[in-house]
Amino acid sequence: MKRLLSRVAMAIIPLLAASSAHGHIVGARLGDFYSGALHPLTDLQDVLLWIALGLLAASLGASRSRWLVLVLPLGLIAGLASALDLHREAGGPLTSAVMMVVTGVVLAAGIRINAIVLSLLALVVAVVRGIANAGGIAPETDPTLFGAGVAASGYVAITLVTAAVLAFREYGGAEQSPRWRTIALRACGSWMAAIGLMLGGFALAS
Amino acid sequence: MRITASAAQRRAVSLALLVCSLGMSHNAFAHEQTGIAGGLTSGFMHPLTGLDHLVAMVAVGLWGAQLGAPAIWVLPITFPLVMAVGGVLGVLGIPLPLPELFISLSALVLGAVVAARARWPFAAACAVVAVFAIFHGYAHGAELPRAANPLAYGVGFVVATGLLHLCGIAIGTLTRSPTGQRGVQALGAAIAVLGGYFLVRTLAGVS
Repeated sequence: MKRLLSRVAMAIIPLLAASSAHGHIVGARLGDFYSGALHPLTDLQDVLLWIALGLLAASLGASRSRWLVLVLPLGLIAGLASALDLHREAGGPLTSAVMMVVTGVVLAAGIRINAIVLSLLALVVAVVRGIANAGGIAPETDPTLFGAGVAASGYVAITLVTAAVLAFREYGGAEQSPRWRTIALRACGSWMAAIGLMLGGFALAS
Repeated sequence: MRITASAAQRRAVSLALLVCSLGMSHNAFAHEQTGIAGGLTSGFMHPLTGLDHLVAMVAVGLWGAQLGAPAIWVLPITFPLVMAVGGVLGVLGIPLPLPELFISLSALVLGAVVAARARWPFAAACAVVAVFAIFHGYAHGAELPRAANPLAYGVGFVVATGLLHLCGIAIGTLTRSPTGQRGVQALGAAIAVLGGYFLVRTLAGVS
C-alpha cells in the first residue's frame, strides 16, 4: 500500500509541477526577433522604400539588383547599431520623402545607374530606416534578436520584390519583353516619387 | 473591515479585468502608424467618389490613347508627378485661384478634345494636362493633412489616379477600330457635357 501511495504521489507531483506547453518559440525569448521582423512592416515608409528599391533594382536587371540582397539587410543592421551605440537619429519623414523622390525619379526617368550607385542608394536608405527602426527597441528588448528580425524582414522583402519584378519584366525572355512592361515599371516609379513629394510636403507643413 | 458579498464580487471582477488587461498587452511599437486602412481607403476613394475628378482622369487616358506614342506613355508617367506638385501646394495651404472652376474646366476641355479627336502638338497637350493636373492634385492635397494617416492617404489617391488613367488607356485601345473610335469620341462628348454641367454649377456657386 505504501509503495502504491508513493507511486501515486510520484505521478501526481510532476503533473502538478508541469508548466503550460509553449508551442510558439516566442516564449523562448525569440519574441524579440519577431518584433524586429514585424516592426518595419508596420511602417509605410519602410514598406514603400523597400518596394521602390526593389522596383528600381529589378528595372536595371538581375546582375545589378542582386547586390541589394546583401546591402539592404547589412545597412539596416548598421543603422540599428549606429542608433544604439552612437545615438544617431533618423531624419524623420522628410528624409524618407527625399529618398522616395530620388528612387522614384530615377526609375520614372529610366536612368541606368550602375551597381555601385544603386548599392550606395540602397545603403543610405537601409541605414536611415535602420536608425528609424531602432525606436522600437525597448529597454527589455534584446537588440541582437530585434536587429536580426529587422534584417531578415528586409532581406525577404527585397528578395521577393526584386524577383517578382524581374519575372514580370523578363517573362517570356528578356528580348521579347513588351515595351509596356518597362513603361508600367516607370509609371510605378512616378507614383513613388509623387507619394514622396506629398510626404515631403506634409512633413514641411507639420 | 466588513466586506459585503457584492463588494467582494466587484473586487473579484476588477482584479480579473486587471489580470486580463495585463495578459492581453502587446509589445510597444515606436511607429505611430495608426489609421493606415482608413487613410488608404479615404485616399483611394477621393478621386473615385468625385465625379469631376473621375471623368477628367479617364479623359486623360483616352486622349493619350488617341494621340498614341509618346503621349500614351508620357502622360501616365508625368501626370502623377505634376499632380503631386499641386498636392504639395494644397498641403502647404498655398492658395491657387479658383481650383473648383479649373477642375470642372478640365473635364469640359479634356472631354471636348477626345470628342473632337484633336491632334494637338505633343508639347501643347502636355502643357494643358499639366495645368489641370496641378489643380486636381491641389484638391486632393488640401484634404491630406486631415486624413487618418496622411502617407496612406497619399498612396491611396496616387494609386487611384493611376488606375483611372489605365482605365482610360484601356478604353482608348478601342480606337483601333472605326466603331470603337466613334465610341471613344462619344464617351469624350459625354465627359465634356458632364464637365459643362460641373462648370455651370461652380459658376452658380452650387457646391
